[in-house]
Amino acid sequence: MRIVIGQGSCGIAAGAEKVKKALLNTGVSADSISITGCIGMCWLEPIVDIYDDENKLTRLVKVGEGDAEKIARFVETGDKALVESLVVSDEDSEFLSKQTRIALRNCGIINPEKLEAYTAAGGYEALKKALSITPEEVIEIIKTSGLAGRGGAGFPTWFKWNAARQSAGEEKYLICNADEGDPGAFMDRAVIESDPHNLIEGMLIGAYAIGAKHAVVYVRAEYPLAIKRLRNAIAQAKEAGIIGENIFGSDFSCDFMIKAGAGAFVCGEETALIESLEGHRGMPRLKPPFPAQSGFWRKPSNINNVETFANVAWIINNGGEAFAAMGTEGSKGTKVFAVTGKVKRSGLVEIPMGKTLRDVIFDIGGGMKTDKDFKAVQMGGPSGGCIPKELIDTVIDYKALGATGAIMGSGGMVVMDESTCMVGMAKFFLDFTAKESCGKCIHCRIGTKRMLEMLERITKGEGKEGDIELLEELCYSIKDGALCGLGQTAPNPVLTTIKYFRDEYEAHIKDKKCPAGECSDLIEYKIIADKCKGCTLCARNCPVNAISGTVKNPHVINTEKCIKCGKCFQSCRFGAIVKE
Amino acid sequence: MINLTINGKAVQAPEGSTILEAAKAAGIYIPTLCYDEAVEVYGACGLCVVEAQGIPKLLRSCSAKVSEGMVVNTESERVVRSRKVAMELLMSAHDGDCVAPCQLNCPARTDCQGYVGLIANGEFDAALKLIKNKIPLPASIGRVCPHPCEKACRRKNVEEPINIAQLKAFAADMDLKSDSYVPETAPASGKKVAVIGGGPAGLTAAYYLAVMGHSVTVYDMMEKMGGMLRYGIPQYRLPKEVLDKEIAIIEKTGVKLVNNVKLGVDFTIKSLKEENDAVIVAVGAWKSSSMRTKGEELDGVYGGIDFLRGVIKGNAPEIGEKVAICGGGNTAMDACRTAVRLGAKEVYVVYRRTRAEMPADELEIREAEEEGVIYKFLTNPLSFNGENGKVKSITLQLMELGEPDASGRRRPVPIEGKTEEIDVDSVILAIGQKLVTDDVKELSLNERGNIEADPDFFTTSIDGVFAIGDATNRGASIAIEAIGEADRCVKVVDAYLKGIDVETRVPYISRRDESTIDYSDREKKARLTPEVLPADIRNKNFDEVSLGFTEEAAKEEANRCLECGCREYYKCKLLKVAQRYDIDPARFKGEMPQKYTRDENAFIERNTSKCILCGLCVRSCREVMDIHAIGLMGRGFKTDVSPAFALPLNETKCNNCGLCVQLCPTGSLTEKFNLPKQVPLNEEYTEEFVEIDGKKSSVLVSRYNGKVLRVIPNDAISRNSGLTREELESKLS
Repeated sequence: MRIVIGQGSCGIAAGAEKVKKALLNTGVSADSISITGCIGMCWLEPIVDIYDDENKLTRLVKVGEGDAEKIARFVETGDKALVESLVVSDEDSEFLSKQTRIALRNCGIINPEKLEAYTAAGGYEALKKALSITPEEVIEIIKTSGLAGRGGAGFPTWFKWNAARQSAGEEKYLICNADEGDPGAFMDRAVIESDPHNLIEGMLIGAYAIGAKHAVVYVRAEYPLAIKRLRNAIAQAKEAGIIGENIFGSDFSCDFMIKAGAGAFVCGEETALIESLEGHRGMPRLKPPFPAQSGFWRKPSNINNVETFANVAWIINNGGEAFAAMGTEGSKGTKVFAVTGKVKRSGLVEIPMGKTLRDVIFDIGGGMKTDKDFKAVQMGGPSGGCIPKELIDTVIDYKALGATGAIMGSGGMVVMDESTCMVGMAKFFLDFTAKESCGKCIHCRIGTKRMLEMLERITKGEGKEGDIELLEELCYSIKDGALCGLGQTAPNPVLTTIKYFRDEYEAHIKDKKCPAGECSDLIEYKIIADKCKGCTLCARNCPVNAISGTVKNPHVINTEKCIKCGKCFQSCRFGAIVKE
Repeated sequence: MINLTINGKAVQAPEGSTILEAAKAAGIYIPTLCYDEAVEVYGACGLCVVEAQGIPKLLRSCSAKVSEGMVVNTESERVVRSRKVAMELLMSAHDGDCVAPCQLNCPARTDCQGYVGLIANGEFDAALKLIKNKIPLPASIGRVCPHPCEKACRRKNVEEPINIAQLKAFAADMDLKSDSYVPETAPASGKKVAVIGGGPAGLTAAYYLAVMGHSVTVYDMMEKMGGMLRYGIPQYRLPKEVLDKEIAIIEKTGVKLVNNVKLGVDFTIKSLKEENDAVIVAVGAWKSSSMRTKGEELDGVYGGIDFLRGVIKGNAPEIGEKVAICGGGNTAMDACRTAVRLGAKEVYVVYRRTRAEMPADELEIREAEEEGVIYKFLTNPLSFNGENGKVKSITLQLMELGEPDASGRRRPVPIEGKTEEIDVDSVILAIGQKLVTDDVKELSLNERGNIEADPDFFTTSIDGVFAIGDATNRGASIAIEAIGEADRCVKVVDAYLKGIDVETRVPYISRRDESTIDYSDREKKARLTPEVLPADIRNKNFDEVSLGFTEEAAKEEANRCLECGCREYYKCKLLKVAQRYDIDPARFKGEMPQKYTRDENAFIERNTSKCILCGLCVRSCREVMDIHAIGLMGRGFKTDVSPAFALPLNETKCNNCGLCVQLCPTGSLTEKFNLPKQVPLNEEYTEEFVEIDGKKSSVLVSRYNGKVLRVIPNDAISRNSGLTREELESKLS
């Protein structure tokens, strides 16, 4: 039997290393234990997969150190009853079985630290195949596939490759944007941590197609495990002659470099990324000229996102038509989403384009984890927008999602229930973009700050008539005037929440009420005397002694003293405390 | 060549040029703040956006290239809207005063900071010229003005305001002592203007119209010119000799002065209009207001201005030993102090509120008290009681202060049943003055009985007839108000005479939020006032009370100025763009990004609170000079330009080349100049050449009033020479 421990960042954070040590302590041989990357079922980590000699899988979830003994005995005896309580439920298994994995095809299956594991899974065959045809033919296959940029904008990949190929000059660069910065998004991290050779292969094919001799991965420094595994993979590939001079004996040569970003969100914008690569402050450049004409060191450069490259090898192996067979008229193939928030099953979901949001959130994600109703989903992080429950059947397609005011984005999907204040949600994302603005252009630097201030006033109950209209005016001005994508898309969370939840804004402004009960300045906690048993628990939990009353008699909250921390509300066992 | 259309105009431009370059070559202005040919395009300000047919996005014209057949609009509605919001956002985070509050609070917008600063520098003649741009009677106004400028002066937040009015009188007195300044006049326009009334309004209008080349005659009913300055202000406050000298200078500009002619008797408005191209009515308000109190008709009850005029003309009315003056304004002060000087033994000032609410100048109140005036606060005349038709006593209703009224002052309310009676020989009612309506019946009047004049254009019901000053709209006010109106009216009349349009819109300027200003680092320094005659001497004669500033005292007092207004006001590109669009940055009022901090080296001063982050300084230091003394720090709203490693500027590699200052579009970086007090001045810049190590090098020379203020390196040779500004100046031929 083989023991495979999920060791993506998610698994490690949940305690996978400790589980591994505990297993070794039980005497299980080190040889029988291997690791894999992110399986995608992040809410079930740590996950331990046991393969029997026929390669039949028994998946154990939420494994603790204390389970090591049981597992060791199961491995020894094959008696599944020993670990019955740890085996993943059929329902949870559907999370994976309902997905179609291309970019993530090896994630959570192969060992990301071994080149052999990748080649055993058919790795680098696509590169060999690509090198046997002309770069133009490679671009043609990508064109047939309909692959579009997975970083958010959805620009046709072949077009960018072709533009870079056509650009004059010997010196060209192929750059991978792995500066994944959206709050709640972790698709790229998972790919690099779990299948780094897939990224390298996709990039080498891209470099061959555009005629670049240099490949660069710009990855956030906050992804140390991804950097470590990618470094390791590059070293292995170099040693195997996959990176370097005359790759696989062809005329094609390409070197590889990693640059760790310093943590600025804006460096995910391609021209800011180039500035940062060159050692400057990460600030966007004016376009035109586009990177395809003048990019890294002013040479023709092509920049794609991790997930885009992660699809390339599969497309070359299986043909552009196979990829194009999935999806809708305008959006081909699959898309990876990082589903988080109030959803029951959060993790990585890869599904074909054309599925609906309902498929992702309810069918795969299992619906809400609380008893509250689904309210909206934020797509595309701070650059995206929210989609309300009325539009839950919207299909996953660049155009259809764009029509809602949201965007496909890089794949962040934050699910919200009725307890989320939509003004507060917009404020959260604005706070993020305002802080992450590089400060270069007026609209973004000052405009997002002023929007944030307005939203802060509204959530404090200091909003005034005309604020919504002023916000909208500012939103459209920023979209029109900001220099780069960060600023141009920053108003999206505000515009979509106003579009779908205008009444919630009005309630804050006119009635000074927060319908979701989330804005602490606009709520008041009260004790319903009839329901209060006088247990004194709330009074004991109150950090500011704002609750008074005697035992077995109804208590009262002094609203002047109350700091609205909600401790009483959480502690009451009789439902006697209400939020108004 | 590429053919394109910009704003409907066919334009040709070389291939590869930007829309901005093509527009500039075609003489079409596109605003920019972060663009300069010396450095690479940057695209931060977004003001250069234009709309091109068929392209959904706005284009930044500094980087977008021209293409064949392109149709560009540089001022479309969408473009203007985008620029307007950009400017509103930018100005909402620009923490600076374009103009000092003293100047803004002066009804005539006199450049107080400018002349105070020049006085501090000992440049008295330059100071006088600056004042005379706005006030043709500064020696007189300096003496009598209730100085709204000083009320706005921020020095009051340190200890006391600058003595601006007295400094003005000082500069003007210096000028009157010798060859007085007479401005050059423009070539004769051939247009004739009649001014009715030779008071501050009429004389001011006449002076500036004459300077503009028009032929002006002032008609006045009194024996001499000056209006209320002559007949309403006592000699001890404004010696008439001073006024005479200032009027003589006005006459030197070519203004004809005609006295002893009265409107309605010797001529009418219409008759003057027939003989002239324009008429300005500035007849003033010459009738004392009534209190509508019982007994006002008694002998011995006089109107305040009637009384003062009588004294000045040498036929003072009989006032006896006990005199009561009713009112709390400056006319009441003039009347009571005049009564003291006439020999009255008991002089009362009856005022229904308290000292704190008195509209009169605090100095006047104090000096009157020193001279023996008795204040009867919180009293109001119920009746003037007479005997044989002559006033004998006043019954006073005692008052207390109630709720604040519309003016914000607490309203005086009678205390039921409490009265007091004082014996008097005479009463002077100094509670206001009104227009003699009959004089101007040719014009439409408003419900107050004053001439109805357009508040911006000063037009009246007769074409070509304009009206200003106390006779118009809301009635009598202070002299400087009338002077301000006259100055603005002159611009309208000049345009009217030339048949052109005139802009009266008050352009936008940036102002700091007063509540955010910190004065804790300012050293306290007491306000200086000129010496005055001792009370027991001055109360017996009409000699001027104030002895005026000495040169030393004037310079010392002027040096207290906090220099609130921006030194780059006259060449601020940011302000020019802001004023192009009708902006309202208050819509986006919020936090200011930077604290008001100053950093400087020997030549350059940095003020980060005004920075708009155009990056020109950082880029020119890097791209042109390769020095890297400054860079950008922080992110988002807190982004800031900072010297390398956050050191003070003079500890960086900065070589004082001054290129950053030259490119700074606003007042965030300024070049110091050769005067101790840095004053915002409308300098003249010329390019001149100096020899450095045998090579010819360009420098920019700024001059003001004939004096070199700064010499700024203007090419690579001078910038890299390492020469100081003084060394460069010494090389000027």
